[in-house]
Amino acid sequence: MAQNIARTAGLRAYLYLRVALRGPTRIPCRALMCTAPDDRKVREKVTIHFINQDGEKITTSASEGETLLDIVLNKNLDINGFGACEGTLACSTCHLIFDEDVFKKMGPVLDEEMDMLDLSYGLTDTSRLGCQICVQKWMDGIVIRVPQEMNDMRRKKESARK
Amino acid sequence: MALLKVRRFDSIGLWLKTGDSLNFSGCITHSCRTSSSVSDKKQSLLHGPDLEDFVSGDLQDRSKWAEYKGNLKRQKGDRLRLPPWLKTEIPIGKNYNKLKNTLRNLNLHTVCEEARCPNIGECWGGGEYATATATIMLMGDTCTRGCRFCSVKTSRQPPPLDPDEPLNTAKAIAEWGLDYVVLTSVDRDDIADGGAEHIAKTVSYLKERNSKILVECLTPDFRGDKTSVEKVALSGLDVYAHNVETVRELQRQVRDPRANFDQSLSVLKHAKKVKPALLSKTSIMLGLGETDKQVYSTLTELREAGVDCLTLGQYMQPTKRHLKVEEYITPEKFQYWEKIGTELGFLYTASGPLVRSSYKAGRHIVAVTGWAAETGLKTTTDMDGLVS
Repeated sequence: MAQNIARTAGLRAYLYLRVALRGPTRIPCRALMCTAPDDRKVREKVTIHFINQDGEKITTSASEGETLLDIVLNKNLDINGFGACEGTLACSTCHLIFDEDVFKKMGPVLDEEMDMLDLSYGLTDTSRLGCQICVQKWMDGIVIRVPQEMNDMRRKKESARK
Repeated sequence: MALLKVRRFDSIGLWLKTGDSLNFSGCITHSCRTSSSVSDKKQSLLHGPDLEDFVSGDLQDRSKWAEYKGNLKRQKGDRLRLPPWLKTEIPIGKNYNKLKNTLRNLNLHTVCEEARCPNIGECWGGGEYATATATIMLMGDTCTRGCRFCSVKTSRQPPPLDPDEPLNTAKAIAEWGLDYVVLTSVDRDDIADGGAEHIAKTVSYLKERNSKILVECLTPDFRGDKTSVEKVALSGLDVYAHNVETVRELQRQVRDPRANFDQSLSVLKHAKKVKPALLSKTSIMLGLGETDKQVYSTLTELREAGVDCLTLGQYMQPTKRHLKVEEYITPEKFQYWEKIGTELGFLYTASGPLVRSSYKAGRHIVAVTGWAAETGLKTTTDMDGLVS
């Protein structure tokens, strides 16, 4: 308990110092939101499947507490044009579509996230922004879809017509 | 012959182990696999560059891009390699460092650095005749929109505007004694007028200090707000630029969803309406997956909207978080688009793989408008203090 308080206090102190020394910083909006076990060694590995814009399935393992945006960027997954604003809730390029049951279990949507999500192409009822979703143990084995781009939609329609 | 090769280099191959730092061992093993590629390699060695070519230093004839055998169109799951006509020098040198220091001391930002322009070495270095040129970026280095082609930093709430920036920028540019300057800015949707007042003030201070300077502004779309467009258009600038970035069909995919083709077109039309003497200018990136038909219809729409100047350049992926390049357009194709642009009636069409909106802008404008004659600017390549 004391350790947790010390850690949070330390984090706050660090952030205040950073702002004081460097000026206003672009703090990613999820920095203080993810709750994960403090001890890094105990963080579980979770398997996540992505289906990218080309329809390919990409399987990767992630640590608890990482956001989906972190996973895509750090593991260099083949998803085109993902995470343009680096997680500051200023774009909708990390738009992801989840299964119904997975979507229901997720945390609440921030207003800012809703604003950006509303602008995204191919919005569904089970859409979220990847930069706001932290990986948790129960997400092991879930399949996440990247919305198809307009070009791909048209290409598919044309090939279907042929 | 192939087997011999393996035995000779085998010990080296083993020593290098996974040798991913050198293509060398990979090439040897690959050539063993198929006899046809071995004979291809033999042919290319026979007809390829000789020792004399290496020694003379003139290995590639830049006009023969047709010989480039690499892939130019992206396949699924692939990432294209950079073709030779897009390779640029690493920026180094006295001029480059001097300009960098000057900008930092004056707390000015440039789009050259923020958007990772490939021409930075050439423009800032100055070269043999021309002096160093840079495009100043107003309102900070952080944008409120996240477009999928742009590497300028994005934030929901960027730092507030510096109220001294218009004056400082104007003073710095006037001190430099430049003849043509391009001012650009980030999108600031967090500010009521989108930053129009800020830009307009910079231009008017600049014109106050140096009435002969030619100013081009590459503005945001101000979310289509016509009063903001007017503010900038009537501030005294000479060229009003706003980029549509890509063809109509790809707008949703390439740009931030808050930007769209019709909004951008309305900005350009309104600027001309408010001040007909203004030159309007726009820019398109090629290589994002557009078809020739789409490009042609976009150019026609732009011309019908009264846009005077056009630039076409190759899209290059700035970081892994941005869109992959779908196709590398050859220099010959860019020449073709330049011809089409001229035929459609644009005052000038700057078209080339490394052409960017403000690349050599001063020279083009001066060449086509005859403002050179009025203001006494030199029109040869050794223009002093011209900023593109």
